Amino acid sequence: MSDAVTPATASSAASAVAAQAPVIELRDVCKDYGNTRVLYDVNLSIMPGEVVGLVGDNGAGKSTLLKIITGYHLPSAGAVYLAGRPVRFSSPAEARAVGIETVYQDLAIINELSLWRNFFMGKELRRNLGPLRMLDIPRMRQICNEELSKLGLTRFRSPDEPAASLSGGERQSVAITRAMYFGARLLLLDEPTAALSVRETRNVLASIDTARGQGLGIVYIDHNMAHVHPVADRVVLIEHGRVAATLKRGDVSVAELSDLVARTHPGQVQ
Amino acid sequence: MDTLRLLGRKIVRARELGPLVGLVVMLSIFQAINPLFFTPNEMTGLTTIAASVGIVGVGVTFLMIAGEFDLSVGAMYALTPIVMGKLLTTFGWNEWLSFAAAMLLAVAIGFLNGLVTLRLGIPSFITTLGTLFIVNGMNLLLTSGQQVEYYGTSTLFPILGGQLGSSPFYAALIWMVVITAVFWFVLERTRYGNWTFAAGGRGGIARAVGVPVTRVKNINFCITAALAGFAGCTEFGYLGSVSSGQGTQMELYAIVVAVVGGTSLFGITGTIIGTFIGALLLGTLETGLVLIGAPGSLYTSLIGLILIIAVIINVRLDRLYTLRMRRAPK
Repeated sequence: MSDAVTPATASSAASAVAAQAPVIELRDVCKDYGNTRVLYDVNLSIMPGEVVGLVGDNGAGKSTLLKIITGYHLPSAGAVYLAGRPVRFSSPAEARAVGIETVYQDLAIINELSLWRNFFMGKELRRNLGPLRMLDIPRMRQICNEELSKLGLTRFRSPDEPAASLSGGERQSVAITRAMYFGARLLLLDEPTAALSVRETRNVLASIDTARGQGLGIVYIDHNMAHVHPVADRVVLIEHGRVAATLKRGDVSVAELSDLVARTHPGQVQ
Repeated sequence: MDTLRLLGRKIVRARELGPLVGLVVMLSIFQAINPLFFTPNEMTGLTTIAASVGIVGVGVTFLMIAGEFDLSVGAMYALTPIVMGKLLTTFGWNEWLSFAAAMLLAVAIGFLNGLVTLRLGIPSFITTLGTLFIVNGMNLLLTSGQQVEYYGTSTLFPILGGQLGSSPFYAALIWMVVITAVFWFVLERTRYGNWTFAAGGRGGIARAVGVPVTRVKNINFCITAALAGFAGCTEFGYLGSVSSGQGTQMELYAIVVAVVGGTSLFGITGTIIGTFIGALLLGTLETGLVLIGAPGSLYTSLIGLILIIAVIINVRLDRLYTLRMRRAPK
């Protein structure tokens, strides 16, 4: 695990040091729901430009971990550090404000609305019209057009088209691009390729690659090791609320990974 | 060439196209059957009917796009002018103050509709159905079955519903045009409008990107109730009297004009201009049928027929469009 930078040095030093600090770091995080402990002393850090796969069966604690990072829950014990500084998010909005964006499988894009409306939803650009403030539609269309043209989407024709005109994978890519455009530092992807075809999956993985290239930290959450493996630099296996194993890229082959999954989840055969 | 094709696609996709064609066809038919159709008398009838249902319809459209219903608009259409008239006549309030107080009450009831629906998680269909009955009861109680009348001198009444000079048109028509324009702007050109669209989408997405969905919906409940109340006041201004029966079934007609104009019952899709055209269509049908001597009962049946046809066309267009997009990437 890359726990190289202590919070003390990171907070006192300049941005050069901060760049080396993990985008987010969880230290000894525990979570209790009433009397039930669902997370035990979880340590996890994500560096800029790193894709970390978070794998575990349903109920292993992935979602709880995700909710702590995105500000839906506070940890019961332990601490969360953002670029080396301790943070306590009291709401998802607070987490989003500092650049933690989540792309949910089916909750990212509103199909019926045009692409530019989707791209800028909640972050609309406006201009003054006398005393009124109105949408700056030409600028939003132009930016949306530029950003989406870079993606090389085969179905993309105009920012005025409804999002439904894109395929599921392309919509995921749009959501990832949007998060990057609005300055996300940490991107959480919740089973982004679960319902996609092989070709579509490749498109989404390419978008993840781009985001990594731009220095974002990425958490890729999935219950299937095979989905995560092609793109993750590191895979963290969560089991019964604990980090059961951390595997670096190259440490293991897919076969070994599958063995591990089979061992830890006897029901799931690759 | 490409721009032209895009423009073409935009026009074909415009939800307003269907009702507009329907309106033109209907106007032509009535004019062909009876050349007296385009006369001042008929235009007065057409526009006053269209104006009242149009103003209510704009509010209902706004709310439907945000994914909610308001069935209490017909009752509000009566309550607001009744309260205004009672304050004015029984209590001797100043006319502007009476009007302002009545409008405030309308907004408050709209707010309560929203509060119960959104905070307590009751479907708005049920909440506002309840409000419909409650307000109808209030209307009967307040009027005791009598008309509330005011024929005194007034500056407010002509503004609300007076005749426009010696033209065949009345103030409500101007209000309808102004309200359509204002709410078209709000819906299509402001951030609030963008949020209204988003609020009507499947649960969660709008919230996930930071849109204050509950607040937006609640404000829209207020807008809808206020516009219904205002439309009722324009009719009070036009007639000089109001009874508890004013606005009966208005809630249904308002949904009809919204849906005929291309608004979806499931939220997110809809246009203010479409509702405007839908209201004109309804007004045309009613006056036109009377003029060609058709039995009055035919009107109600035809509305039902047009409603169903409009929805069939809209659903077909949507499906056709989505399929074509999916099948033929560039």
